[in-house]
Parts: sequence; structure tokens; C-alpha cells
Amino acid sequence: MSTTRGEPRQFIARARHLAPQVLLPALSVTMLLGLWEIAPRLGWVRDTSIPPFSEVIAEVVDVLGRPGFGTNVASSAQRWGLGLAIATAIGIPLGTLMGRWRPLYKLVDPLLVVTYPVPKTALILLFVLWWEAGTVSRVGIVITGCLIPIVISSYHGAHAIEERLVWSARGLGIGPIRRGVRVILPAALPQILSGLRLAIAISIFTVLGSELLIRGDGIGAFMFTALDNGQTLTVFAMSTIVATIGFLLDLIYVQAVRRSLPWLEGDI
Amino acid sequence: MIEPATGAVTQPAETAGVPKIEASGVRKVFSSRRGEVLAIDSIDFVAEAGQFISIVGPSGCGKSTFLYIVGGFVEASDGEVRVDGDLVTGADPNRGIVFQEFVLFPWKTVLGNVTYGLARQGVPRQERKERARQLIDTVKLTGFEKHYPKELSGGMKQRVALARTLIMDPDVLLMDEPFGAIDAQTRVVLQAELLQIWERTTKTVLFVTHSVEEALYLSDKVYVLSNRPARVREVIDVDLPRPRDPEAILGRPEYVQLHKRIWHLLQEERSKHVDDPG
Repeated sequence: MSTTRGEPRQFIARARHLAPQVLLPALSVTMLLGLWEIAPRLGWVRDTSIPPFSEVIAEVVDVLGRPGFGTNVASSAQRWGLGLAIATAIGIPLGTLMGRWRPLYKLVDPLLVVTYPVPKTALILLFVLWWEAGTVSRVGIVITGCLIPIVISSYHGAHAIEERLVWSARGLGIGPIRRGVRVILPAALPQILSGLRLAIAISIFTVLGSELLIRGDGIGAFMFTALDNGQTLTVFAMSTIVATIGFLLDLIYVQAVRRSLPWLEGDI
Repeated sequence: MIEPATGAVTQPAETAGVPKIEASGVRKVFSSRRGEVLAIDSIDFVAEAGQFISIVGPSGCGKSTFLYIVGGFVEASDGEVRVDGDLVTGADPNRGIVFQEFVLFPWKTVLGNVTYGLARQGVPRQERKERARQLIDTVKLTGFEKHYPKELSGGMKQRVALARTLIMDPDVLLMDEPFGAIDAQTRVVLQAELLQIWERTTKTVLFVTHSVEEALYLSDKVYVLSNRPARVREVIDVDLPRPRDPEAILGRPEYVQLHKRIWHLLQEERSKHVDDPG
């Protein structure tokens, strides 16, 4: 117990080990934030285009207290959640089935190949044309953006399963449907979860993109209005908030997966 | 003919005339993009109830494929396999299999893996737990019930795999190089434990291995297969008294003779591979 305090050599060794892991990343981030703070103050950039970091942080606190903020975040969150949920509900079964049943893969794969390189935000205008500038278009774009990574990761997960694992289940007398749900799905889960993590990042991006283009309400619209009014500081503050939300969501997701699935090996 | 109703249905009956496992003319052709590959030319095979039979052969000769055909996991291109006189058409819990790669369910604990098959058979929870406890004790994993496979060593994983198969109380145990991926020290221990289990339960075991020593130590009979495409090169009876001591057995003249014989056969088969580019 007392060894850590009693042995300075060990402490130094640990510090030396920690230095590259903690200090170096902290150094680069601090330098970036420092530059952000100093550049506008020294007149290297105009503070109307890039306000100093400390002012942005002050504005973040202010924005969080504004009445319009909560409702806009709520409507963005709704679209985000709905889109991601629908993409997950379609993507995981579709991808998993593709991984286990060749004809379905052959049927769907060309569609993925063709649609994969299409920038999903470019589809927003078409969606508006078809379904008008409402919830359907916005949720639709989130689904479109998230579906492909979820389908592809589920496909790879199900396809790469050790065949003898499935045989083991067969040997224990487990029928085909039960094998699909209770053996193939969990065996593919590590890769499915990686795809889902990617989809979470994409979903935030697509929600924001749709709101920036369609306007109406939501975080994106809130930002655009601020830009229209020349409130650069608010735009920066909102960007910081969105980035933080994205970061936290990813962190929470990874931690939640780790805790709920203690059997997982490696990273997701 | 009329047996008393003892309820011992799972015990292999000493039915004269019908062997436990009988394979005749088993042939296997694999089709791939590059054409057809003949993996097994023709195998005839007989195992009496309660026998421990090893199958040895050069690497890639098709001995595992033959085991998968007996298990019902792979379909033969020609010929048939019968167990207790019934044609094998698919996998069955009565023919348990253990693979070299362990392949446990990684999302299940040791206990969850072991009881997995029973849950599907509608065995009551309490009985499941009791049987699992006994088997976990048999494979010496008591205290590790709540561990996940990722927390176990190779040898421990294989013990779990063995328990998971044994809990179904299969008549036939199919083992595909089960100790091939395990370190030499642990292998010796597991071999001895397998023998103990086998002697207690009188199961029929088909054991694929590339180790002549392992085959001789464990088996009643050794099937030596030819190089690919597999044929039965020779069937060798191992008349060494049981229980066998893995160390003492090495000095017995019969053992040395058999070892020499099998080694020679395998060497011949391997050298054929060099001459034959197919």
C-alpha cells in the first residue's frame, strides 16, 4: 500500500511512462487553444472572424442560458434520435442477413457500392423536393447517412464469424432461427458496435447539415440565424457546444458498451 | 430381446452386429472457383460402442473433413455414415464435437457456455445448474464459473469446450485435434483427464490428431489415412493394457513397434506429396 510513497524511483519511472501519454497530447491542445486566444488579441486575425477562445467560452455560458437554446437542442435531438434509431433497426438485421445469406448480399451490395460515395448532404435538397422541408426530410437524411456504415459493419461482422462457432451451436441442437439471434448476432456484435459508433458521429453531422440547409429550427438553424445577424461569437460558441456534445456522446457510448458487455475483447 | 425398463437409454447398448459408427465409401469433393478438389477418395470406417479411435494422417489429408462428415456438419459427396444404424443427415447433440480452436461463446461465462445446450432442451434450471456444477468439477474449473472466455488460458478454454459438449451426454465424442493448440505441459494433463472421463462414461471417441504419441497413448485403434485424397492406409490395433501410464508406456516394446510402424506409414505418405504435384 505504502510502496508508491516510499519509493520515489518507482514514482519517477511512472511519471516517465505517463509523460508521453498525457503531457504530449495536453501540450498540443494547449498550444492550439493558446494560439486561438493570442492571434485575435495581437491582431493577426480580425476578432470579428475569429474571436479569442476565452470570449467564446464566456459566450457558451451565455448561450446555454438563452430561452431559445433548449427548444432548438430538443428538436435537433429528436431528429437525431429518430434517424439513428430507424437506421439501426433496419441496418443491423439487413447487414447481418447479408453476411449469412449470399443472395441477399449480391442483391444489396451494388446499391451500397453506388450510394456509398454520394455525399449525403447533397441529397437534402432532393429530399426537400420530395417530402418538403419537414421532419421527414431531416430524419431521412440522418437515416441515409447512418444506414451504410451500420449495414457494412453488420455484414462484415456476420460474414467473418468463425464457422465452427455456428457448428458448435448446431452440435448442441440449436435451431436456425435461434442460432441467428442468439449466436450469429452476438458473435457479430463487436463489429456492429464499431459501425454504430461511426454512425453516431455521422448522425450529428447530418442533423446539423440538414438544419443548416433547411433552416426552420434546431441547432443548425440557430447557428445560421446568428451568422445572419453578424453574431460571430455566438456561431463560435454554438460550434463549441456541438463539438462537445459529439465528444461526450462518443465517450458515453464507448463507456456504456464497455460496462454492459464485459466479455468484449479489444476496442470497438 | 426384451430388456428390463431400467431407463438407461443413453447407455450404449451392446447390440451385436450393428456397430456404433459405420462409414462406407465416404467421398468428398470440394468445388471452388479453381475447379474441383478431391479431399477424400474413399473411407470405410467402423467403431464399436465404447471404443477410442484415433485418426492420423499427413497435414491437410482430409482427416478433419471426415470427422465433420461423421458429425453431420459437412455433407459427403458419396457414401454414407450410420450411427446406431441410423443414417447421419445433420448435426445431433448425441454426437458432440470439440474443435482445436475452442470456439466458446465469448459473450457467455464459463457456466453459461456449459449450460447452453441444456437450456434449449428444456432441462429445468435447477437441474441444469447441478449438472453444470458436476461437469465443471470434472474438468477442474470450479471457481471459474463466472469468468468469460477472454479471461481463460487455452487449456482452460478447451476444458470449457469439453464440458459444454459432455453436458449433453453424447454417445459419440468427436474431437478435432483438441489439444493441438495447447502447450505440451497442459496437453499431457488434458490427455490423462480425457482418458479418465472416457473410462468412466464408456463413450465412443473419434479423435483426430497429427501426433502419433497421442494416438497410441489414448486409442484402442488407429486409422492411418493416406495423403490427399484420403484413403484408409492401414488400421492398427493398439493392444496396450489399460489404464496406461503415459511415461511407462514409452518403454514397452509393443509401443515402440507400433510407433515405428505408424511413423513409417506417415513418412511414406508425406513423401508421395513431393512426387505428386496434384
